Amino acid sequence: MSNDAPLRIEGLRAGYGQADIVHGVSLSVARAEMVTIIGPNGAGKSTLLKAAAGAVRPRPGSSVTVAGREVAGLPASEIARAGVAYVPQEANVFRSLSVRENLELGAWSDRRRIADGLARVHAIFPVLSERAGARAGLLSGGQRQMVAFAMALMLEPAVLLLDEPSAGLSPVMVDQMFEAIIAVNRTGVAILMVEQNAVQALKISNRGVVMAAGAVAATGTAADLLADRSVAELYLGAAR
Amino acid sequence: MIGQLILNGFINAALLAPPAVAFTILFGILKFPNFAIGAYVTVGAFAAFAVNVQLGLPIWVAVVGAMAAGAAVAWLSDALVFKPLRGHAPVTLLVVSIAVAFILEQCVRLFYGGNVRGFDLALERPMRLWGLRITKEQLEILVISAVITLLVHLLLTYTAVGKAMRATADNPGLAEVRGIPHRRIAVFTWLLCGAIFGLSGFLAGLDLVIEPHIGWNLTIPIFAAAILGGIGSAGGALLGAILVGIAEELTVLVLPTTYKVAVGFLIITILLLFRPHGLFGQAEIKK
Repeated sequence: MSNDAPLRIEGLRAGYGQADIVHGVSLSVARAEMVTIIGPNGAGKSTLLKAAAGAVRPRPGSSVTVAGREVAGLPASEIARAGVAYVPQEANVFRSLSVRENLELGAWSDRRRIADGLARVHAIFPVLSERAGARAGLLSGGQRQMVAFAMALMLEPAVLLLDEPSAGLSPVMVDQMFEAIIAVNRTGVAILMVEQNAVQALKISNRGVVMAAGAVAATGTAADLLADRSVAELYLGAAR
Repeated sequence: MIGQLILNGFINAALLAPPAVAFTILFGILKFPNFAIGAYVTVGAFAAFAVNVQLGLPIWVAVVGAMAAGAAVAWLSDALVFKPLRGHAPVTLLVVSIAVAFILEQCVRLFYGGNVRGFDLALERPMRLWGLRITKEQLEILVISAVITLLVHLLLTYTAVGKAMRATADNPGLAEVRGIPHRRIAVFTWLLCGAIFGLSGFLAGLDLVIEPHIGWNLTIPIFAAAILGGIGSAGGALLGAILVGIAEELTVLVLPTTYKVAVGFLIITILLLFRPHGLFGQAEIKK
């Protein structure tokens, strides 16, 4: 893979306080590629995404490049401006602001593109147009997740980091969310996703990364991981 | 009698509303109760006095001077004191803010002593409106306070920076990953709120006498108004200011005037016991 892949992570170490949660993880995501990270709770999957987005500061010596530009250690706001959109699992909308205000803030870095962004995300999630004036904190869990995802799409990011996009959603909503993720991915966006719904996520992904105890335990094409008996037994459970 | 007291209550509220709104905005972004706000008010009052009386400039220039001094001292207190302590517990910052308040107030005393002072304004008879007595200065306080509060509301509701301030107050981590730079928003908030505290000092100087305790005397009623309205709610702080302002004035019907200051403490105590999120704030839901 070329050095200016949309996202390249090398030797990433990160954690909270003195404790490291992620121990030297390396991976990359190409344009229009979708990579899903699976693994048990506490494996460091979410911390990896947060460190890549700048929400948690990577330890010295870690490298995160976005289209060839080193961003490790930069403030999260600068990494966002470099084209990385991170959608946290929880607290991922501004609850006291309206849906429309949330979406507008998704385009904070380039406010001239608010109208274009709104048109694009309303085409993906028409319900957000109907609920534009509603306070985000009063929406259903599924609609809140849509707002969070749509906010991240406002400026057509080069890289999307999705932390459990289907968490708390009904089965119908999960299907809708995955369809939206596929549609966005097809526009060329590189997607790195952490998902407990591992089988469904791998089915729509190009590649998978298995994390355990803060390190990469296995990696391969999504099809290979789905077919791997040991991965299936350890990480995909009976859902398969 | 009641009508006059209610009018006085609204004038009191006009003094409390802008700083209460500024306090709640500042708390929303910085997440600690800043007890130095009264000192910013005092600095604003004395800056206006310096411009108007010592430099002999018109009163409107004194308004600008008060706002500039308030903004400068608020920003400096952040840059020199609060910013290096970012990340410490709110109670640490609260205690430090009390120290900042004392330091600023003593600086004012160092230059001006403890004497009472006033602006260089001609004394005029109060006007009579529907049988109620009001001075020209009090009318100006009502108008300026209403205009400032409306402007802050418009800023928060309709401008990009205002929405970014509300977003940062709502969820600072998410705001940062959406590209909203917390530091720049924090600096803007300090300058804006400092200017409002400075202006409040000018308004207080118009209605009362200017002395080093002028801001400290307003601190508890400002806190009461902001807590009553619900911390983080600018509209709530406005309504809280009106309720506290009127309550303070109506107290004189049953208690000596000196007990007016106890109203703020009483409101804070009752709210913290029975409705800590205020009338319009949202209770925090913990999983």
